[in-house]
Amino acid sequence: MTIHLARLLTIAALSACLGLSQDSKPIPRTANGKPDLSGVWQGGGVSLYGEPGLSKRPAAPPPVNPPPKREPVPYQSWAETKTKTFTAADDPTLACLLPGVPRITSMPMPFEIVQTPKEIVIAYESFHAFRIIPINDKLQHPNDLVPTWMGDSVARWDGDTLVVDVTGFNDKTWLSGTGSFHSEDLHVVERFKLNSDDTITYTATVTDPKVLTKPWTTGALLRRPANTRVEEYECIENNQDAAHMHLKK
Amino acid sequence: MKTPKLRTLLAAYAGLILTAVPVLAHHSFAAEYESKEITLTGVITKVEWTNPHIYFYIDVKDASGTVVNWAVEGYPPNTLKRTGFTRDDLKVGDTVTVTAYRAKDSADRVAGREITFPNGGKKFAGPAAGGGPPSDYK
Repeated sequence: MTIHLARLLTIAALSACLGLSQDSKPIPRTANGKPDLSGVWQGGGVSLYGEPGLSKRPAAPPPVNPPPKREPVPYQSWAETKTKTFTAADDPTLACLLPGVPRITSMPMPFEIVQTPKEIVIAYESFHAFRIIPINDKLQHPNDLVPTWMGDSVARWDGDTLVVDVTGFNDKTWLSGTGSFHSEDLHVVERFKLNSDDTITYTATVTDPKVLTKPWTTGALLRRPANTRVEEYECIENNQDAAHMHLKK
Repeated sequence: MKTPKLRTLLAAYAGLILTAVPVLAHHSFAAEYESKEITLTGVITKVEWTNPHIYFYIDVKDASGTVVNWAVEGYPPNTLKRTGFTRDDLKVGDTVTVTAYRAKDSADRVAGREITFPNGGKKFAGPAAGGGPPSDYK
């Protein structure tokens, strides 16, 4: 039994290491043959994984297609210096502002993907965010974009992977951790790959030539939280934390 | 030959699981609270079942008999609901014991962890110090 499990783990992990997709088991598909991404998904948090150190929930098996390991953001040296001028008190989400892309995918709250042949809609619980993403093989954005917190998204199918191209960002969100600022030239390409173990491997490639030395790739494994629907999260209702932060600049 | 490889791979998976630590939804834990755990026992005086965090307030008597009203912060309501902690679990007038982490500004405010209810039942109100936040907020 143990040996069998070990073999399975080894095979799955080796496949992942080699970048091979040996995940040939069937996945649910829509009427037009595309992978069916619809439903409620989540990237992390206790409502998905339970409390650490406790065995209240069965441990999730290793994913068949793990996301890439998160690397540090490759800032240009002046930009690296600037990141250190920020503290957690400067976090835009502390003020209940939208987290931007790709950061919103890792928030510990669920989101629902609604899929039609013409568009994908993602309704996030966190910060009431939503994205209406037209499917457009040329990945053409509108020509009247004004910079926004969540940017403008368009998508196309690359085989069985949904590729979402996001641009039109303002420079007010953070990419990841404290101080991880960017410019309005931020461009994000996300990939959503539905796996046979009912997970989505999410990767985001981030380019911003004004502040980064090279593209930065991050990712998350999305799972379906049990018995969960997307509900209201009115963050500003009783937001005391900003006033309670006493951080040295 | 196989064993070390498998170990490495399992460690990689463990790493993946470790990134899934509990998080406060929209702010850094370490920027606001100490990591040392304290225990408070007191009577619930008020409950705010609100976003982005719930708060409840307890009257705690110190050694000299002075009563101090402590604010206890917890997870967001939706997170609590999904982990089996409902609004009705907190009743004004009930005496509860709370393990918690004190605010760094020394105010009478804590991040609540485990609540022990009058019937002896226990539930988590918020994350363990150091358990979150999260890679995303570091």
